[in-house]
Amino acid sequence: MIYLAMFHWGWLLGAFLLGFCMGWIAVVYRGRSVSRAWIQRLSVLVAVIIGIAVAKVLPGRFGYWLDLGLALFAFYLVGCAIGSWLRDIVVTRQQGRPA
Amino acid sequence: MHGLYRWSAKWWPGLIPLAILWLVAAWVSTIPLETDLTARGTAALKNTILDKSSVTVAGRDVTFAAEAFSEEGRRSAVAAVEATPGVRLVNDDTRLVAEAKPFVWVAERDNVRVTLWGTAPLPASKARIAEAARTALNGTEVSDRMGLKRSAPPRFDAAAMLLLDQVAKLKEGKVTLSDTNVSLSGMARDLGGREAIAAALKNLPEGFTVAANEIKAPPYVFQANKDPVTGTLTLSGYVPDNTVHAALAAAAGRKFANEKIVDNLKASIGAPSGFAAAVTTALGALSRLSTGTLVVSDREVKLSGDALYDAAVGQIRAGLAKELPQGWPIKAEIALKPSAAPVDATVCQQLFEQNLAKSRIRFETASASINADSAGLLDRLVEVAMRCPTTKIEIAGHTDGDGDAAFNQSLSEKRAMAVEDYLVTAGLPADRFSTVGYGATQPIATNDTEEGRLQNRRIEFLVRQQP
Repeated sequence: MIYLAMFHWGWLLGAFLLGFCMGWIAVVYRGRSVSRAWIQRLSVLVAVIIGIAVAKVLPGRFGYWLDLGLALFAFYLVGCAIGSWLRDIVVTRQQGRPA
Repeated sequence: MHGLYRWSAKWWPGLIPLAILWLVAAWVSTIPLETDLTARGTAALKNTILDKSSVTVAGRDVTFAAEAFSEEGRRSAVAAVEATPGVRLVNDDTRLVAEAKPFVWVAERDNVRVTLWGTAPLPASKARIAEAARTALNGTEVSDRMGLKRSAPPRFDAAAMLLLDQVAKLKEGKVTLSDTNVSLSGMARDLGGREAIAAALKNLPEGFTVAANEIKAPPYVFQANKDPVTGTLTLSGYVPDNTVHAALAAAAGRKFANEKIVDNLKASIGAPSGFAAAVTTALGALSRLSTGTLVVSDREVKLSGDALYDAAVGQIRAGLAKELPQGWPIKAEIALKPSAAPVDATVCQQLFEQNLAKSRIRFETASASINADSAGLLDRLVEVAMRCPTTKIEIAGHTDGDGDAAFNQSLSEKRAMAVEDYLVTAGLPADRFSTVGYGATQPIATNDTEEGRLQNRRIEFLVRQQP
């Protein structure tokens, strides 16, 4: 894992920043939300995919690409979480200030 | 936490650029990653001993194929690849190197190069053997066609190294090591090479045995050439050692007293047994020829030349056959020297004196038996006697002053008669000769010194024209 992180740090950083931006926007975004049922279904799907990656079922390059995708996805999620959390702090502070 | 859950419902639009990022990352990074892992995997195997090792990477999965020389080595090599950072899976295509039964190694030498065939037990051993071959065969091309197999006998390397040193002593030939059995065939480079190889093989490592040693050596040649024009006897070729050299030179000196001896002999091992005795006998036969060549090649004795008179041809042949040791084949091509012009009694007397000036007829001590070394001189005296057929010859025997006068008298008479017998046996008519013995009564030198006594022990010829 350390080897992968060192080898792909640029791409992972990209995924993290992408996530950070998305998380930043998501707090004030008025668009459509994914329903709770879909989030659960997608979580199960991700869990299955993680299971496949851990079990090393896919061979050769497909296996590598899956690992790479999951790593990028993980960094994206972390970026999203941090972005949303920070934006929420900023938004809350602005709302608390007298106009 | 609840907020995070709520916000996460709106994170999905980022997945589209993330998917694009993923595709680009996969497109760009796959080949560099595979190259990097291949290099790391190969580096991890640097200290392992493998044959036909190959590392191929697809994604992060390594396909590792190799032939190992032991199960332990195989496992540790696979573990080394598995431990390489970044490797996800190792497809293990390793196996053990095949066993060779029998374990055969061959070094073959021809005029151009030395070829190493067969199998070596380990790459290091293969390299060491090839390097040793290049060192031992300095300047000769070495072609390494050795493969690698398991189950070599213990101390294989040491045995192969020793055998390579023997290959260096060959002109051409083959050395085969089959398990612990050593077979050699071919031709040694030098005289004595065969013996040197046989001696070196005694140092083979424990457990190795010589199954067959069929190394031949160049013929061991001794040559003697008698040239009456220059009055020389030229000795060339080889003698086993300085002792035999001295003995043969001394024998040649006695048998060819009237010739100048040119000694070009060299010492070398590799002589057949009984060499000195056989060559001494053959030199005796050569001394009876007017002109001739003696070639002793290994055990074959080849004598060619001209005998001084008819009866000598048969005598020389028969003498060689009788006196040479068993197993020494003879090839005698002896012709008859053309008769020299007849001379009168005065010239005949001079010729006798000339022949006896440098040498004398020798007898065994206190005996009337003519020493074999005097055969050449006697044959020349026979020839002289034949050139003056109308003369009568008195043969006079003399002894030194040592011993009883009556014994010396008797001995001198018997010795004169022995010489007469020799001349008659050679084909001269007996009625031309008379013998007389003078004992020690007519010394020509002092009897007080060995040199003087030697001069006094003599046979004289007195030639008279027949009335």
